[in-house]
Amino acid sequence: MNDKGIRKNIEKIILKKKFENVAVKVENKVVYLTGKVNSYDAFLDLGLRIGKKKNVEGVVNNLEYPNKERKEKKKGSASKIGKADVVIVGGGVIGSSIARELSKYKLRVILVEKASDVACGTTKANNAMVHTGIGENMGTLKQKLCVKGQQMFEKISDELNVPYKQNGMWIITTKDSLAKMKLPSFISDFIAKRIIPMIVLRRGKKLGITMNLTKRRELLKREPNITKKVLAGIYSPTYGITCPYLFTIALAENAMENGVEVMLNTEVVDIVTKESKVESVVTTKGIIDANFVINAAGLYTDEIAGMAGAREYTIHPKKGATLIFDKKANEYINHSMSMLRFPRTKHYKGGGAMTTIDGNIQWGPTISETPDKEDTTVTTEDIEKMFESYSPLLEDFPEKLVITYFSGLRACTFTEDFIIKSSKKIKGFVHAAGIQSPGLTAAPAIAEMTISLLKNEGLKLEAKNNFDPYNKKKIVTRDLSNEEKKKLIEKNPQYGEIVCRCEQVTKGEVVDAIHSKIPALSIDAIKRRTRAGMGRCQGGFCLPNIVKILAQETDIPIEKILKNEGGSDLFIGRAKCLLEDKYDEN
Amino acid sequence: MMKTDVTVIGGGPAGLAAALKAAEKADVMLLERNKELGGILPQCIHDGFGNFIFKKMLTGPEYAQHYIDKIKKSNIKVKTETTVLEIDTNKNIIATNSIDGIMEIQAESIILAMGCRERTRSQILVPGTRPAGIYTAGTAQRLINIDGVMPGEKIVILGSGDVGLIMARRFTLEGAKVEGVYEIMPRPSGLTRNVVQCLDDYGIPLHLSHTVTSIKGKKRVEGVTVTKVDESMKPVKETEMFIPCDCLILAVGLIPENELSKQINIIMDERTKGATVNERMETSVPGIFACGNVVHVYDLVDDVTITAEIAGKNAAQYVKEKPETTEEIQVVAGDNIGYVVPQIINNRDLDSVTLYFRVQREKKDASIVVLDGKKQVFEKKERIVKPPEMIKITLSKKTLTALTKNELRIDVRCRK
Ligand SMILES: Cc1cc2nc3c(=O)[nH]c(=O)nc-3n(C[C@H](O)[C@H](O)[C@H](O)COP(=O)(O)OP(=O)(O)OC[C@H]3O[C@@H](n4cnc5c(N)ncnc54)[C@H](O)[C@@H]3O)c2cc1C
Ligand SMILES: Cc1cc2nc3c(=O)[nH]c(=O)nc-3n(C[C@H](O)[C@H](O)[C@H](O)COP(=O)(O)OP(=O)(O)OC[C@H]3O[C@@H](n4cnc5c(N)ncnc54)[C@H](O)[C@@H]3O)c2cc1C
Repeated sequence: MNDKGIRKNIEKIILKKKFENVAVKVENKVVYLTGKVNSYDAFLDLGLRIGKKKNVEGVVNNLEYPNKERKEKKKGSASKIGKADVVIVGGGVIGSSIARELSKYKLRVILVEKASDVACGTTKANNAMVHTGIGENMGTLKQKLCVKGQQMFEKISDELNVPYKQNGMWIITTKDSLAKMKLPSFISDFIAKRIIPMIVLRRGKKLGITMNLTKRRELLKREPNITKKVLAGIYSPTYGITCPYLFTIALAENAMENGVEVMLNTEVVDIVTKESKVESVVTTKGIIDANFVINAAGLYTDEIAGMAGAREYTIHPKKGATLIFDKKANEYINHSMSMLRFPRTKHYKGGGAMTTIDGNIQWGPTISETPDKEDTTVTTEDIEKMFESYSPLLEDFPEKLVITYFSGLRACTFTEDFIIKSSKKIKGFVHAAGIQSPGLTAAPAIAEMTISLLKNEGLKLEAKNNFDPYNKKKIVTRDLSNEEKKKLIEKNPQYGEIVCRCEQVTKGEVVDAIHSKIPALSIDAIKRRTRAGMGRCQGGFCLPNIVKILAQETDIPIEKILKNEGGSDLFIGRAKCLLEDKYDEN
Repeated sequence: MMKTDVTVIGGGPAGLAAALKAAEKADVMLLERNKELGGILPQCIHDGFGNFIFKKMLTGPEYAQHYIDKIKKSNIKVKTETTVLEIDTNKNIIATNSIDGIMEIQAESIILAMGCRERTRSQILVPGTRPAGIYTAGTAQRLINIDGVMPGEKIVILGSGDVGLIMARRFTLEGAKVEGVYEIMPRPSGLTRNVVQCLDDYGIPLHLSHTVTSIKGKKRVEGVTVTKVDESMKPVKETEMFIPCDCLILAVGLIPENELSKQINIIMDERTKGATVNERMETSVPGIFACGNVVHVYDLVDDVTITAEIAGKNAAQYVKEKPETTEEIQVVAGDNIGYVVPQIINNRDLDSVTLYFRVQREKKDASIVVLDGKKQVFEKKERIVKPPEMIKITLSKKTLTALTKNELRIDVRCRK
């Protein structure tokens, strides 16, 4: 179907659904919407309806709705600060994976990230599952890259010396799986027990995923705390878990070791093109000349594309909230588990009770739309939804043992699939956009795919012969035996001093993080690298310790220490500062 | 491998008193993870400590110093900046510090005195964002009083525990504005004396039956939404109110710090969240004693010191001679009683036994009675009893020797 045909179809929808002030344009199978609707829900509704249509490759939804936030354009700095073959925008798992992949070639590569650390966007707030791909719709790019990425994950994790475990996953059906359908129970139980598992197994076979059907009795033996309402379970042994920020930090550090330059605290504000070709990238720190740009800016990919005049999709964030439980609850399950429910509702995308790489149990994620790309609140409704969705999975689970909760935002497009391709409008501009779940899993495959796109765009790739894929193992004292600890402390006494009681993190590990390749210069950056503050007291004990070490090891005054980004100052000043102000006034 | 008679874990008021008492009869080693001894006291620079023992109001550091001076003069081996990582039922201890590295210590007897920790935002599931500017009251106290930094200038305090009340005053004295203290229960959870001296005297409002239902702010706290709750503690949406502030302080409870106790499956009391102990402050594992806030959260440090001395004395005694358990009298929390410590009496051939407990509901004209089976063996009248105020009663030798049943029950009744 050509653009004209697509446009006709869409005009039909608009008419039928009575959208009065909406205009459509179609170009290269990308639909551009302009005009006005009366709510954000209507904005979403129309976008999603169009996104589902066959042949539509992208929806740029520029519809106005009440209270739409306007952003001021940020000013860049006019000084030239560099020249590169490729600039990568965004230091999430996607940008960092691409950086490492590119570092295998004789190229000058710069990664720019607006935050003070890598892995600060969606990459830090997700469920860390390395999915098999069984949960994705058949035939999507998401699924293809997920299956491939999963196969690559172990090797990369080994090379980078970051934790990765194939801890397995139960996909279960219960008496509640079809509750919403209101069928007689003998029918719904039959479907849940026999039909659904069969379909899942068949799908798995097609994708080449190992999965075993397990009888209810056997399942209850292996997972004694699972709900007694369970009907069937499929065990998927290759399901994996990673640590998304350790993984991403390691990717970025390895890329740096191999020559990539990572510029933190640097925001891209414009992209200069000439004759529809990328020429340079304007940042808050200055201008970088480059002929190739990779857009891996997560939630902001649509805006970055807009800067280059290559807007070919709009991102609508979908929030997902997660609860994490105290390690005291760890032994309640042996493997992650997810319950299938039909029909899928807007608010339940699956998810379940899953283990993290550190063994804690997490519940999540929820799913809900939000217009705000920075809206990482966890609302009362989110908390209620999590209890409602995941509490039925386990019997007598110690639900009171929550140690923390957070939410992350999925960068969804209206076509609801990854958009990884070269811009049809601007030469040298490559999109790695719409990377919602399972983007973490797919990251290695996305990186490979992006490189081949660059090649097609005309980038010359010449392999380096001194590429070093390995990262040195970082010291984690809690994983060592007492003998190993003794030896280590003899060499460096700081590894004997515990600064975080819950996770038993030593001063040595905190100092290592502060002085690592990408230095950890905030409390959260240290937390992500060491786990200090992630335990049950949530930093109540270690915060003052970490603050002091950070001040000692850097030249940041103690009262200026940040929780994470600029503006997140932990303190307003020294003690007595408010009194001094008052005296000054008098 | 080092050897000692008694090893005390934790150098707060409980550990200090226990170590000193034990050192009268035995070799003692004291392990403390902080740089300074004194536990929580060095940061409690307000007065209100020692009224019972010293008959005067000392500050926390003054109270602690009294015991620290004595420790310095004793032959107790003190190791600070030393964290205990593991203990086992054979009383092997593994600890770490930067000088000795990983230490293995073989003790005859162990005294657990690890104190307590604060409940966090997550444990009460406060919704919202996760910006800078949210602290538990004890952490805020430490930040201001020890580390010399100011956590905020417009403060909302959630929870009316004692530390929160003390901090309301402390923030005010530092020039910050405390917008109010919000308590979900219909009554304050801290001591009346603290409500009067820390809130009323400074005109800080206390809003009972209120809670925080949302935190706003991406980088730093920008404000919180407070909401009234109904009788079943459910927030009433219509009463939501947004309060701009840059700092939220949580004083929502303390929990005994029992990670180590749990490693060796010591029997815990669900209600106190501490170990079950007998009249000698011995836990269910023979030779392992516990005292102070690790057993249950005390109101007053004087009581911590007194019970810690009991633990110290008996730990040293245990090294000399393992006592035989002659009997087991269960001390039962009866009508209107939340919990009682000690939970067990193993030997009543003593001069006296003091029982500590809290009531569940406030009662005027109360009568505290102790029953040996159906027989009343003790009565004490109180004008008023309240849950935040711990009550203690002492049973005399005469009462103890006259007991006949293996269950001792305490009831709090109304006299009218
Ligand atoms: C709740 C939830 C659960 C999930 N669970 C899983 C899971 O279990 N398994 C899985 O495989 N996937 C999961 N995902 C998906 C996965 O987290 C994402 O696909 C992945 O993190 C996307 O990475 P990214 O690098 O594209 O985005 P991001 O991590 O958001 O990185 C984009 C980066 O670009 C930077 N940036 C933006 N604008 C600019 C600019 N102008 N200049 C410079 N830098 C800029 C940002 O600061 C950010 O660091 C989950 C997602 C969510 C929300
Ligand atoms: C803000 C506040 C105000 C108070 N006000 C008053 C008052 O006005 N009057 C009054 O009488 N009482 C008051 N109290 C109560 C009194 O301070 C406590 O009852 C007392 O400190 C409890 O003593 P503790 O030794 O049991 O615990 P803590 O003082 O908490 O000491 C426990 C010690 O154990 C150490 N430790 C824990 N685990 C380990 C480990 N694994 N290895 C090594 N060391 C370890 C800790 O570092 C700590 O130093 C107040 C308490 C607070 C918090």
